[in-house]
Amino acid sequence: MTSASRVVATALLALAGAAGAEEIKPGSAFLSPQMQRQQEDEARNPGWLWVEQGEELFSRRDGVAPTCASCHADPKRSLRGAAARYPQVDAAGGKLINLEGRIEQCRVERQKQPAFGYESQELLGLTAYVASLSQGVPLSVSTEGAAKPYYEAGKSFYERRQGQLNLACTQCHDGLVGQKLRGDTISYGIGTGFPAYRLEWNGLGSLHRRLRACSLGVRATQFDYGSDEYLALELYLAVRARGLPVEAPGLRR
Amino acid sequence: MSSPISPACARPEPALSRREVMAAGAAGLALAALPASTQAAAPPALAELITRVTEGAVPERSKITFDIPQLVENGNSVDVAILVESPMTENDHVRWIHVIAEKNPFPDVARFHLTPRSGRADIRATLRLATSQKVAVVASLSSGGYVMADADIVVTLSACIDGG
Amino acid sequence: MASFNARITMPAEAKAGDIVEIRVLVRHPMDRGGQVDAEGRVVPRKILNRLTVIYAGEPVFRYDMHTGVSANPFVSFTTRAVETGDLLFEWREDGGATFTRTARLVVT
Repeated sequence: MTSASRVVATALLALAGAAGAEEIKPGSAFLSPQMQRQQEDEARNPGWLWVEQGEELFSRRDGVAPTCASCHADPKRSLRGAAARYPQVDAAGGKLINLEGRIEQCRVERQKQPAFGYESQELLGLTAYVASLSQGVPLSVSTEGAAKPYYEAGKSFYERRQGQLNLACTQCHDGLVGQKLRGDTISYGIGTGFPAYRLEWNGLGSLHRRLRACSLGVRATQFDYGSDEYLALELYLAVRARGLPVEAPGLRR
Repeated sequence: MSSPISPACARPEPALSRREVMAAGAAGLALAALPASTQAAAPPALAELITRVTEGAVPERSKITFDIPQLVENGNSVDVAILVESPMTENDHVRWIHVIAEKNPFPDVARFHLTPRSGRADIRATLRLATSQKVAVVASLSSGGYVMADADIVVTLSACIDGG
Repeated sequence: MASFNARITMPAEAKAGDIVEIRVLVRHPMDRGGQVDAEGRVVPRKILNRLTVIYAGEPVFRYDMHTGVSANPFVSFTTRAVETGDLLFEWREDGGATFTRTARLVVT
């Protein structure tokens, strides 16, 4: 190989890299500088109100034994990075679960308590708290083994045209990134900031709540919170976001 | 709290809250004495809304730095920063700062009461704006005078929708 | 109904005479009244209508809130450090409920 062709090859490699995973930016990159600063600011980002609630629930007694903290002692260390590995296939049940699902599983199976329910303030709080312990940790979900069919299903969901508007996720979230849709800017559609405080919601919400809004937006079937469809999609989005840091609780328009 | 809110947001403010705010401010005392019918008319213009809180005085446009995004991303939560030039001494300080959004269903948005112990008249807050409009800030000075500033803002998503 | 919680951010210590900034974020839906919820019921107005802050024996700040204040409102203000002691924050909600929190300022 001549030195000139080596330079060209290197340049092409760099380009290929830029067009691949490196190109995908988190949702926060599409916020105004003011909102970006607010997301970073624990005194200003209202998502931390939910994190605080979750932190309290984590070690709350009132008859619940064991508490979360009984098993997960020193959560700032023991659970750091945990959220970055979800969704994952649950070894016992063989099914894909996300962080919300894992917390509910602990609650029902280990604490013998009634489930909080998806999108309840308690589950949002606990999810936000546990996710916040992984802030800055790069996403590293697995697509191997039992996770593979879920990954394939999520990818196919993302690429399939749906709804009365006949749109696939990829058409906007790859094809029209940076353009405006109503008052918002189209992002890469990844969930690193969730659960996130959305101004439109006046509160904290899960990624599945956001996905339900997307489905509604293209006049497609809205799947249930925690449904297999959204879990598979969540896994695919997490693969797209591999290497990007957990930002939860994010701040979004 | 997470339940979706329908777009039915243009309901009139309950009468109770209007009376409450009127009773709260010194300027409101004069107005509360007016017959109810005069309050039921079309929404008053901004100038009138301002003179209601200044006991008729027309505030001077000075001393206030009013920072609000010209293009509001979502009317549900709009950051405002208000800074009034004042030594904040016993003899010369800002008594209160009042925010008026003329096209909100209830235009009196907020009032911040300060004292010489505030050290500075320096406030930040998050407000809710129904639509594109002019937002005014009026400060009452211990000297008895008033100063004001205003800003035209465009709301791209008002505080009235929920796309789910 | 979501739980009430407040995040009060301010320096733990200040020199006498310093002006300290106090930032307050509080969890409250600030229901302005008249909306229809998912079940079709009209949500009555329920907001925090006042925050009063007392420090070294007297009110140093008061925030009168009406329906034009955002959900989960944030506010920041300043006060001059005068003596070591608690700042008492008291929120009043429509219907008369009150919530209080304290934050300590050590003055050197």
